[in-house]
Amino acid sequence: MNTEAGKTERDAAFLARYGVTPAEAGHDMLMRMIEDMFAEGLVTEVEPFPETDREFSKLLDILRPLDANALREKLVISGWLLEPYGADKMRCQECMYYLVHKRWCDLPELNLPAKPDWWCRLWRI
Amino acid sequence: MANLLWLQGGACSGNTMSFLNAEEPSACDLVTDFGINILWHPSLGLELGDNVKAILEKCISGEIPLDIFVFEGTVINAPNGTGEWNRFCGRPMKDWVKDLSAASQFVVAIGDCATYGGIPAMAPNPSESQGLQFLKRAKGGSLGAGFKAKSGLPVINIPGCPAHPDWVTQIVVAVATGRAGDLTLDEFHRPKTFFSSFTQTGCTRNMHFAYKVSTTAFGQRKGCLFYDLGCRGPMTHSPCNRILWNRHSSKTRAGMPCLGCTEPEFPFFDLNPGTVFKTQTVMGVPKDMPTGVDKVGYIKLTAAAKGMAPAWAEEDIFVV
Repeated sequence: MNTEAGKTERDAAFLARYGVTPAEAGHDMLMRMIEDMFAEGLVTEVEPFPETDREFSKLLDILRPLDANALREKLVISGWLLEPYGADKMRCQECMYYLVHKRWCDLPELNLPAKPDWWCRLWRI
Repeated sequence: MANLLWLQGGACSGNTMSFLNAEEPSACDLVTDFGINILWHPSLGLELGDNVKAILEKCISGEIPLDIFVFEGTVINAPNGTGEWNRFCGRPMKDWVKDLSAASQFVVAIGDCATYGGIPAMAPNPSESQGLQFLKRAKGGSLGAGFKAKSGLPVINIPGCPAHPDWVTQIVVAVATGRAGDLTLDEFHRPKTFFSSFTQTGCTRNMHFAYKVSTTAFGQRKGCLFYDLGCRGPMTHSPCNRILWNRHSSKTRAGMPCLGCTEPEFPFFDLNPGTVFKTQTVMGVPKDMPTGVDKVGYIKLTAAAKGMAPAWAEEDIFVV
């Protein structure tokens, strides 16, 4: 999806299905887009968990150039899940980047809505 | 009248610049109001060459009573322990430091380099730098662990990169006016009056620390700098948010993470790109916890705080 043609095709698909692209979508619409992707079998890169800050930074470096419509790529690279993760049941609710009232991930490289029981491998407490 | 001599070793002169900005009391107040006679200072002294050397020799011989010896910068020992890389007035600075320290009533190390080695003493430490009585956390340094000045006090350490000007002048005034007995030092020889509280004490972002809302980019006024931007305020001993810089600000108030420059380990991290202003984590949990907090307690506290956080904590409340 890195070519201009690919991006155009991607954006057109969002427009056809939702009437709006992720970049223009509001909180609830983005939430719906995310849930639809997982309902249709989206698999994300949950492992490896970035154990060190350097590994964490590498993921951010990959995410940073993505445009706001690259929703699928953001979810895949960040290892997004719609459930808590691991033995400790890590979840967005306790993550430093999660704004509980806005139900929003404030990590600039993601900048997406999220539910308290979701998780991604950029989780930090 | 108290005679003060100030020398520099492996230094950037930052502490001198800071000292000259002192306000309460100012550097001039030291002379006019508190009877401090500045024998010589690298930026203020009028003497040059042999005349400086003569002052130093008279201090060592006792012809000039030396009350306060202030040292800024590291003691350089390279190459091979000789100290020849930092010669001053005809001999290695390290030798002047040793002799003048032995001759002085009080020895005051100013700044992180003179106290603990600071940046010059980072690995691989090519200048073989040491602090006066410490190398990082290890006691000893250039003068040795057992060193005591004539007054009976060890080296008084005023760390910082640079040290706040008021920390310097207030300690100098205390010593010069016979109130050294009121000083109590912590295990790293820092005056407790300044270094018992934390940088976080008085931080304007404490509300955001409490509710676990993070700053995610420089310049944001909302959020706490500890969670993501590497701020060391919760585990650094300094009064930076009690005795403000330029009377009205501090690093954290300006949106800049505390670097922990008053702690012996400064500078922290390995200085690789992306590591300095980034909170170091292991499996998503900060590697360095606020002092006195363990991992389990931290996680429980976070869960409770996030659950109770009010909506305003997510907003920028400092509206102009």
